[in-house]
Amino acid sequence: MPLELVFLIEQLLNGLLVGVAYLLIALGLSLIFSLGGIVNLAHGGFYAIGAYAAVVVGNRYGFPAAFFISPIAVALIGVVIERVLFARFYRADPILSLLLTFGLAMVIEQALRMTFGATPIPFSIPDFLRGQVFVGDFIYSRYRLAILVVAIVAVLGLWLLLQRTAFGRVVRAGVQNPDMVGALGISLTPYLAAVAALGIGLAGLAGVMLAPITGVHPAMGSEILTASFVVVVIGGLGSFWGVVAAGLLVGVVRGMTVYFIPPAAEASMYLLMLLVLLLRPRGLFGERILRFE
Amino acid sequence: MARTVTLEHPTAHPAKGGAMLKRHANLLIAAAALLALPYVLNAIGLTLTSATDVAILAMACMALNLLVGYTGLVSFGHGAWFGLGAYAAALLQHRVWPDGGVALAIPAMLLIGLLAVPVGFVVLRRRGVYFSLLTLAFTALLYTVAYRWTALTGGENGIGGVKRGLLFGLDLERAGVFYTLVAVVVLVVIFLLQRFVRSPMGSVLAAIRENEQRARFVGYNTTLYKIACFTLSASVTALAGALMVFNHRFASADPIAVAFSGELLAMVVIGGMRSFLGPALGALFYVLFREFLSMWTPNWLFWFGLLFMGFIVFSPTGLVGVAGRLLAPLRKRTVEDAAMGGRTVAQAQALPKTLTAREPWSGDGPILEAKGLARAFGGIKAVENGAVAVRDRTLHALIGPNGAGKTTAFNLISGMFKPDAGEIRLAGVRIDGLSPHQVCAKGLSRSFQITNLFPTLSLHENLRLGVQATHARRFDPWTDASSIPEIEAETREMIAFLGAAGMEKAEAGALSYGGQRLLDMGLALTSRPRVLLLDEPLAGLAAAERTRVSNLIKQISAEVPVLLVEHDIDRVFELADAVTVMADGAVLVDGTVEDARTNKKVQEVYIGSGSAALANRDLASAATDKPMLALDGVDAFYGKSRILSGVALEAREGEILALLGRNGAGKSTLLKTIVGIVTPATGTAALAGENLAGMTPAAIARRGVGYVPQGRALFSGMSVRHNLELGRLKRRTGAGKHFSEEEVLDLFPRLKQRLDTAADLLSGGEQQMVAVARALVGDTRVLLLDEPFEGLSPAVTEELFDAFDRLRHQLTLVIVDHHLDVVLNLADRAVVLERGQVVHEGPARPLARDLDLRRSVLWL
Repeated sequence: MPLELVFLIEQLLNGLLVGVAYLLIALGLSLIFSLGGIVNLAHGGFYAIGAYAAVVVGNRYGFPAAFFISPIAVALIGVVIERVLFARFYRADPILSLLLTFGLAMVIEQALRMTFGATPIPFSIPDFLRGQVFVGDFIYSRYRLAILVVAIVAVLGLWLLLQRTAFGRVVRAGVQNPDMVGALGISLTPYLAAVAALGIGLAGLAGVMLAPITGVHPAMGSEILTASFVVVVIGGLGSFWGVVAAGLLVGVVRGMTVYFIPPAAEASMYLLMLLVLLLRPRGLFGERILRFE
Repeated sequence: MARTVTLEHPTAHPAKGGAMLKRHANLLIAAAALLALPYVLNAIGLTLTSATDVAILAMACMALNLLVGYTGLVSFGHGAWFGLGAYAAALLQHRVWPDGGVALAIPAMLLIGLLAVPVGFVVLRRRGVYFSLLTLAFTALLYTVAYRWTALTGGENGIGGVKRGLLFGLDLERAGVFYTLVAVVVLVVIFLLQRFVRSPMGSVLAAIRENEQRARFVGYNTTLYKIACFTLSASVTALAGALMVFNHRFASADPIAVAFSGELLAMVVIGGMRSFLGPALGALFYVLFREFLSMWTPNWLFWFGLLFMGFIVFSPTGLVGVAGRLLAPLRKRTVEDAAMGGRTVAQAQALPKTLTAREPWSGDGPILEAKGLARAFGGIKAVENGAVAVRDRTLHALIGPNGAGKTTAFNLISGMFKPDAGEIRLAGVRIDGLSPHQVCAKGLSRSFQITNLFPTLSLHENLRLGVQATHARRFDPWTDASSIPEIEAETREMIAFLGAAGMEKAEAGALSYGGQRLLDMGLALTSRPRVLLLDEPLAGLAAAERTRVSNLIKQISAEVPVLLVEHDIDRVFELADAVTVMADGAVLVDGTVEDARTNKKVQEVYIGSGSAALANRDLASAATDKPMLALDGVDAFYGKSRILSGVALEAREGEILALLGRNGAGKSTLLKTIVGIVTPATGTAALAGENLAGMTPAAIARRGVGYVPQGRALFSGMSVRHNLELGRLKRRTGAGKHFSEEEVLDLFPRLKQRLDTAADLLSGGEQQMVAVARALVGDTRVLLLDEPFEGLSPAVTEELFDAFDRLRHQLTLVIVDHHLDVVLNLADRAVVLERGQVVHEGPARPLARDLDLRRSVLWL
């Protein structure tokens, strides 16, 4: 294999890695938004909490424990936030929940700064995931590959949950027509809480997995949040495969720009978004949802 | 945007008389505050630099509030303009004009303002949440650029060493001199902003916030106004950013970071986005909070964030709102009587001169003519061959049953949608395909079926905005809008015509429903239309109001031709000069009232022919004496529109009850009230003796109520099996008969082959069967059916008919349908609703057989 191609594929995989991280955050955002109408600007904050929780748990009980405990802990925090804050805003002007969650994001970031300090905390890759994978000429980090696998499993798992279980069908029905779901005797309240837990838990999971790569620092949430929103906007609010496609697309475009025009790596996805919005104002697969316009 | 709080709106004009002081109260307060600020801050231990910060941030917040508070566009990226202004000023000094001092803020502002035009053009393509997200992404993009493009911006190090220079020989490096300069600039900007928001152009912003759709239909090109507002807001913010550079002698990417945009927004919200100076107060609060808390903790932003959240939850109107609430008991309440009773006189008033003085239509033939109109939505043809021709100075009614395509025809004519085919001419000129504000400018305006006003603005301001929209000075950004005599005179005339003198200051949203309907019509008239379109102007009105409003319509039509969609056929036949009857998207009859009244086909559309094949069956009743469903004195409203009044009815176990009545009579609402989707204002509903008051739809459904809504509301993308699963999931409660999936499939055998097909891919008849099956599975004792036979073939109708006949032995059915021949043969009893009241109740059989009786009960 020519060397350039090897580098190109490596950058592509790196781009995809970033893409799936955005994707995990974006899917949670999209899910919470579709069912309850809350645009959760604090979603990045939960991602950061996930990373910090991984540090705390991981240092004491090891990475595998952190991998399971941290997302669950974050999901539980999510349920509390949903019951105490989100529930008040399901029927309110969506702009108010946007402002509220923005404030929440600020509070989470500062709380993390107060508790853990502003300096990044290193979080190392567990031993069994260290090292490289060799495929012919091609070398790639074992841990990064593991992240890709976990993310793919998570996305597929979420899709199966939504498609193949009664729980998922109630959620999808609730997105389509909440009044009709009510008229069938199903109260959406527990589903709203469960969806918040799920979406926020996914953010926590992303936090755990990316912690060793990006480092753990208080602003990590706000950094990933804007990018995830770009993914959601490109994919179309409320569209599962739209968001997945957008996440991968952003990853690929990013990988390519890192390879060809490195300084424009960050800017590339915003330009992509601009392009998509000019051509398709509701995103790749987005539907028109009147009350958010 | 839905708003739960009514607030003092920003464009509230002070009352006339003794006005000078009141008019300029904002400026006086601002001047006094700017004068006192350095001394006050000094007294509490803060420097002049902090005072300068407050003044500059106050200006930026007020600029941001032009978008947030006035126009309703929440920008999450305004820090970008602040930061760009800062960079522009610093770079101008470093690269272009090293000797230029503070004066460089002006070219910096102009440059950034110029940049804001194309950006605004892109981000303003979207509204609401999407707009917010776009501005967020825009800022994030700029931040990465600013951070990475170190050659230009200095990256992390920023651009330092900015010099303030001299102005009129005064050394601006001295903090006091610089503060004075900033204070003067801020005061001038506040003066300019105040002129702007009170100008014709600025006053439209509130209209856009309150109801952009209506603003377009009264004739405003809202996009232009939004771009203008966005540009102005960005420019002033950039000016603030530039001044900040001179205050701190340093430019960096920090203000472009999303965090700063959020802080700006927080200042606006905490201060009070519904008041002109509120955001400035927020800026002061922010700086004080920062300076004091940061002495005590480095994490002052944590507390600031908590406080911000507190304001969102408890007082979205900010400090100004809190102050208003605290002061409210002290103030004399001057709430005007907003009831219709407050109107001056009830007798007819003269039409405004602007409407009578216009040139008559000189051409021959109709003034408004639509031909061959067609429009489909997602494959469903709403209108196939719509046509209507309105002659000058006549009242033309467009009637027809549900789904006939009347409202779509209206929307095509008024520019809400573009027709797929056909042409529309107004006074000989093609208007099809034009946007609403263009159609309005050509001389066609409309009212709306659901009241569509600028709810938090006063009645006077609503009408004034309407008059202004077609006035030459609608883009004037400088003159006080209320001081333009022609606009004011026309507004007064319209108020007098509506009989609303004395209640000009009442908020439109606080008016009685009748008042709102009247204002909606008045608003359409302010555009001086050549043709007026009225969409169900009588819906939801009480009897006395109906008479009053219909007289008014008749009076208007003597001058301005009126095209009217209305369900109250009795009233239509009394009033109209000509009638077009539509059914299934095409014209059935076009002619005089007499043509429509006597036409057999029209009667058939409304009351059936009495000769359906199903009539021959002799069905046995299964009704018992046990009451199952009982309603008493039920009143229900949509907003302020009264839909049901004092409805009482009873359905017994095993009984099939037909709920009849014309469009808009309240049948669907009655079903929704039983299910709990609509909460009754008064009255009770009881199921098998248990009061349903206060129960959620889910709780009611679990007590055995199955509901099949109009249009079926199946869950698309899900198979028949899964739709049924959702029906029984939580309804295994023992309330009523248990219907297993097998039993339900026995009822509709053809669904057995379709179990794994997606519900949206089924034929209409099969979809209806799934909807019924879904409502049955689980435990059910009452089945509510809303238009179950709509759009079905005779064969499928018969299949469903038989199924319902079998079901009568197992539960109680309430059926709403306009296929009277079918439903009357099926039912035991019929209840007829008219304008939300029960007007007839009795056995169904006589109505089914005796067409004359049916006509007397159900026709005119």
